[in-house]
Amino acid sequence: MIRLPRDETKAMVAVHGWSGILLGLLLYAVVLTGTAAVFAEEIGAWSAGHVATRSAFERPMADSLRRLGAKTPDRYSEAVDLFETGDHDLGVFFHRHEMDRGELISRGIFYVVGDDGRVIHRQAGTNEDVYGARNDNALSSFLVDTHVRLHVPNPWGLLLTGILGLSMLVAAVSGLLIHRHLFKDIFTLRRSGSAVLANRDAHSVAGTWSLPFAFVLAFTGSFFSFFGTVGMPVVAMAAFGGDVQALTEAVYGTPGKPDPRPAAMGNMDRINADAIARAGAVPTFVTIENFGRADAKVTTYHPPRDAAIAPMSLLYDGATAAFLQEKPLIGPRPSTGGTLAAIMSPLHFGNFAGLLSKAIWFGLGFAMCYVTYTGIRLWLVRREGGVRSFAWLERTNVVVGLGLPFALAASTAVFLVAMPLGSATWWTPAGFLIGTALAIMAGAIAPNAERLSAWLRGATGAMLLLLPLLRLLTGGPGWSTAFVAGQPIIVTLDIAFLFAGGWTLWQLRRNTDRPRPSIALQPAE
Amino acid sequence: MTPTSRRWVRIAFAGPGAVLIALVVMAGMTLWLPAGKAGIDNLVLPLVLAPLIWAGLFFHACLDRRLGRVAIVAMVLLLVHSGLIANRFREKISTPAEAHR
Repeated sequence: MIRLPRDETKAMVAVHGWSGILLGLLLYAVVLTGTAAVFAEEIGAWSAGHVATRSAFERPMADSLRRLGAKTPDRYSEAVDLFETGDHDLGVFFHRHEMDRGELISRGIFYVVGDDGRVIHRQAGTNEDVYGARNDNALSSFLVDTHVRLHVPNPWGLLLTGILGLSMLVAAVSGLLIHRHLFKDIFTLRRSGSAVLANRDAHSVAGTWSLPFAFVLAFTGSFFSFFGTVGMPVVAMAAFGGDVQALTEAVYGTPGKPDPRPAAMGNMDRINADAIARAGAVPTFVTIENFGRADAKVTTYHPPRDAAIAPMSLLYDGATAAFLQEKPLIGPRPSTGGTLAAIMSPLHFGNFAGLLSKAIWFGLGFAMCYVTYTGIRLWLVRREGGVRSFAWLERTNVVVGLGLPFALAASTAVFLVAMPLGSATWWTPAGFLIGTALAIMAGAIAPNAERLSAWLRGATGAMLLLLPLLRLLTGGPGWSTAFVAGQPIIVTLDIAFLFAGGWTLWQLRRNTDRPRPSIALQPAE
Repeated sequence: MTPTSRRWVRIAFAGPGAVLIALVVMAGMTLWLPAGKAGIDNLVLPLVLAPLIWAGLFFHACLDRRLGRVAIVAMVLLLVHSGLIANRFREKISTPAEAHR
């Protein structure tokens, strides 16, 4: 329990309120899409109907890699990224690093190798093109992009979400400081009092339980946003005279004596098999430095081991395929800075303990959305009847708070229709914009905020119920096919959408049936 | 100083001041933090800690009753780290010049 003097408490209440009011709606959008993006991988498999379960790293790839290396210009052999793309196809990105308008980018040639070893896609471009949205991952990519930068071009999008992260940090810390009865507030839910008190209690309970989570999310989120946009250039300026590439080399590179003599690539299949046996899991990503040279190094990245938070990586000699060492994710040997930086990602994405940690992160993210939405409502209720009218903000809060889930459900529906036609990268954001426009129109014509809320909740519930049906109608795998293929996540998400849609509509019906109590507004504590 | 101007000074330290000082501290930290066993701690820790440094400066500016202390802490951090960075650049400039002699 923290007891601040009266003036400081007043200052913190003002800081808490204004940090939410000024950026709360944008923060809500970032947190809601981030909450959904916790399951981006699963949503990707569900929406695209992926039923292959054998990883590309468990299939032979050594010959394909040698063949691709031979036909790729030498200037792109500085590094090769290997990762899974589509339905467990193998993505191979031969590239070199270069500076582009002050930003470190990768440029080269990207191949996709199908499960039969044939090249099914070839594309010249930068990392932005390679890791951007494709037809089959347009939905998950859209969710992630909205969360990471709100579709604002870089670096401004990242700076914006970084500022939102800092405002969330401020809201979390000030929220902790203004709690007079922290432990009491965790369990206080007065249902018999006025609606304002009940809302205030619900806001407090959800906010208090998710406080540590909000702090962690805000801290790690702002770290990611500012890392490349501000942090790297500033640190590079001080330590390497502004050379960002030198800083990247120092932090991520594998030290060793350069040996530019040409050498055939070692057996990649042997490396993959050994890495899977050592880590107990297939790699999530593999990098090869100096492909085709005697000093080639292969690093395989794996999910954390049981009871660990930081992901692990293994280092191999590229030319001989010999195992060299277990390597920290950052830096050549274990260090405080490397470990702290390495746990940032699992702490932010909640992917360190499989579906369980993801489900917890999803639930707490949802609680954060609720806290942001109800926080703005409480701020407005406190000012009701004042000199200045905030009716426009109340309506905007409903349009964003309830219109955003509707627009996301609309973009999902549009994706399901557009993906089989090959135009999902265009239609997914278009579907979101159509949903947003409908929500704004509803906001403009609704007689009051309560009716607007009912419309948007009804539309969202109906849309969520429709999604599994639409998936099946547009050629997605049925439940038995998904089970046989070992992809129960498709069935799980179908059920989750049906449940969420049904629950939303049931809540709406319950609220309509219930006689409306006369609400005596009182200022919240 | 009137209460209104004190308030604006506080806002200046909590707002743009905290951002500027956090950036300078982040850059300066790379020069005094130990590099550690892996040789990267001085490069990585400032990047990781930057949001917390900013939050510390922000809440100090909001909560410390003595505005003078807010100003002293902020200015000392700013001057020490700016000095370290300036010294680093001076060394860089003088090293090639000496090599030519």
